Amino acid sequence: MGEGRVTNQLRTLRFLAGEMTQAELGAKIGVTRQTIAAIEQGKYSPSLEAAFRIAAILGKRLDEVFQWESGKAPPP
Amino acid sequence: MAWREKTAWITLVLMVITYGTYFTLVSGASLSTMSMLKLFGGVTILQVIAAVIATAVLAALSGDEARAKPDERDRAVARRGASIAYFVLIVGVITVGVVMPFRDSGWRLTNAALFALVIAETVRYLTVVVSYRRGWHG
Repeated sequence: MGEGRVTNQLRTLRFLAGEMTQAELGAKIGVTRQTIAAIEQGKYSPSLEAAFRIAAILGKRLDEVFQWESGKAPPP
Repeated sequence: MAWREKTAWITLVLMVITYGTYFTLVSGASLSTMSMLKLFGGVTILQVIAAVIATAVLAALSGDEARAKPDERDRAVARRGASIAYFVLIVGVITVGVVMPFRDSGWRLTNAALFALVIAETVRYLTVVVSYRRGWHG
């Protein structure tokens, strides 16, 4: 797989969704608070199913929550 | 810290202390079969009791977190630990079961097999705690 990583706007979107806590979001999608924290810190990339669930709960499209950040330099 | 990371730390630390002590005591020593059995049995029982007590205390302090089922991250991390430990165990099995019988026997073989198991389990729990600490994108 090429260089790059999944980034996300989870912390911001949680705040905008009525200051939802990590524990509340985790409970809604069936993961622990620590897993939500790991996703926010970029330490864990969730499964596609979990990513879709998070986006649905936050009322956003998947690409509004998660983005792919390429490690390659942009073309000139 | 995730509940399963905490329990992995407990198991890892206890395993290193108890079996580290055991292998330090038996390496180079010429103990009788009965002494070796007692030592091995004692270390194993001590490790199990310490793990049960430590996990129970941790569960009491952690509340609902300890009763939660493993989520997808816990399962992914556990799979990674098991798959890496599998290769370590295979190397140990080949060494103890195929190579060593040509020149060793008795307790040396038994201790070598036990050592292979302990190393594989240590690698497993080490992989688990490192995956929780540094992240895992499998």
